[in-house]
Amino acid sequence: MASAKPHARESGVPFTPTGTGSPNRPRRGLALPEWTTAFLLLTPVILLFSISVIYPVIETVRISFWEIRGLGRPSFVGLGNYARLFSDPVFLGTLWTTLIFTLGVTIVSVSIGWFIALLCAFAPRQTSIFRLMIFATFGISEAVAGYIWIGIFRPGDAGLLNGILTAIGLGEFAQPWLGGANSALIALIVTASWSAVGLPLLLSFASVQAIPRSILEAAYMDGAKPLTMMWHIMVPLSLPGARVAVFLTLLSSLRAFDIVFVLTAGGPARATETVGFFMYRESMTQFNLGYGAAATIILLIGVLLVSTPAIAQRTRGAK
Amino acid sequence: MVGRAPIWIIFVVGIVGCLWIIPIIGIVATSLQTTDSIARGWWHFGENEFSLQAWYTVWQTYPLAGSLWVSIKITLAATALTMVTAPAAAYVFHYLRFPMRRLWLIIIINAFVLPQQVVIIPLFQLWREVGLLDNMAAVVIPFVGLSYAWAVFLIKSFLEDFPKELIEAARIDGCGPIRTFTQVVLPNLISPIAACGILQFLWCWNTLLLPMLFLRSDISLTVLLARIAGTYDPNLDQQAVAAIVTALIPLAIFLLFQKQFAAGNRVSSGGKE
Repeated sequence: MASAKPHARESGVPFTPTGTGSPNRPRRGLALPEWTTAFLLLTPVILLFSISVIYPVIETVRISFWEIRGLGRPSFVGLGNYARLFSDPVFLGTLWTTLIFTLGVTIVSVSIGWFIALLCAFAPRQTSIFRLMIFATFGISEAVAGYIWIGIFRPGDAGLLNGILTAIGLGEFAQPWLGGANSALIALIVTASWSAVGLPLLLSFASVQAIPRSILEAAYMDGAKPLTMMWHIMVPLSLPGARVAVFLTLLSSLRAFDIVFVLTAGGPARATETVGFFMYRESMTQFNLGYGAAATIILLIGVLLVSTPAIAQRTRGAK
Repeated sequence: MVGRAPIWIIFVVGIVGCLWIIPIIGIVATSLQTTDSIARGWWHFGENEFSLQAWYTVWQTYPLAGSLWVSIKITLAATALTMVTAPAAAYVFHYLRFPMRRLWLIIIINAFVLPQQVVIIPLFQLWREVGLLDNMAAVVIPFVGLSYAWAVFLIKSFLEDFPKELIEAARIDGCGPIRTFTQVVLPNLISPIAACGILQFLWCWNTLLLPMLFLRSDISLTVLLARIAGTYDPNLDQQAVAAIVTALIPLAIFLLFQKQFAAGNRVSSGGKE
């Protein structure tokens, strides 16, 4: 926080230049030109933002109260779509899948990313190449990640996972991983975690590196072993970074679509459909626009619940 | 850091690092082998035959070059628009006073939590009505509109540390708000604008949902790959080439600009300390 911020104007300006407005006005500039300029510069932003965020949000809420099937006449059903959702076993299944997927990806990717970040802090230079190898998946899209991992879970001899199981004598566990409901969900979590680990690694590593050296040196002088130092000093002190990582991973896996679409397409038999995918399927392939919109609003409510602290923080900080 | 790094730490990180790139090695190896060899498993390096065949034939089998061009056009357009308009918005929100300023600011910077799924039904209907489906603009507009949520926040966070004295000095010298922006603020915003550009480039190139729904004939690389992956196409070697081509440009950008990417991500996520 810059300390000179609030009063810089008064203290830094010894006199008011004459001829540019009334001499003792409280704020800089004339009121009219300033907000005209503001709106001039803001117009493209407000326009594009309104088209692609504000209008769609309002419209999705509105559509969710209507029954719209394909090109047929829409009819108003009030909360009917929502009532139908919560008696639809498929949708209830997607809620459960979404919960497992979101928690699974967050726990796996944040714990791996954070642990690696803590380890790397002991030898930042020697581990930089390995850190980059893990971090690189961050630059690979979910769609490509999904495609790559199809190859690993492939049934028969061509799949790497089955190949490894056979090679180490566990051949009886080899299976078509994407063909079973539970194994497909696990495959989805593994793939998403592989591609999501970059952000937790990045944020936790920044947080660990920000720990004052003196604290770590003191612990080292007292003879603390690396694992003790990690657990008692570095974990609590890098918590802020890890907390942001947890939030962002929760947020992105809750909204997941791309990776589900490419890796399992919701299958087998809709067993790996998340809410974000269910909404796509209902509205864009079955053309139940109202029903899909209602599912989207449920997803939005979930997202807003998870992000309440972040939204509160940003709103407070919006000056 | 402190003292000598224990060797086991480097060892553990090294093992995880190697595990992490096995899938990438797999896809590269697949693209370089014959289909018979792939069926046996790409990791049998001793027995498998290598060939560059897939890299030659894939351009005829899949519309790879066309999609590459679509991806480049869409991504560059969306990235340029964000890089030009978001800094102005951040400047306006930070330094100028106008009605409903705080309300707009709160709405824009909190929109980063919105799932993309929220925009697709209304925009699909809107684009269909105005005939924008299958047009580049149908994708570029939401790409840019959605990016403001984090881009404005990122640049505005940077402006919070910007010396007020400079703005003040410019005003005393007779600069209006626009000249202050273009001549005083903008030259100092290079690094956050670069960070915005890199984040936006990667996101636009890599995302699937919006281009998949709004583009039909001229599809981007990511959409092409998703389509190929969903079919029972036996040409695994050519598919692998398509995947590599899709991943190559964003990965190169990512590796080249890691620092800016990391900084941008930390700030736009609110994780800067």
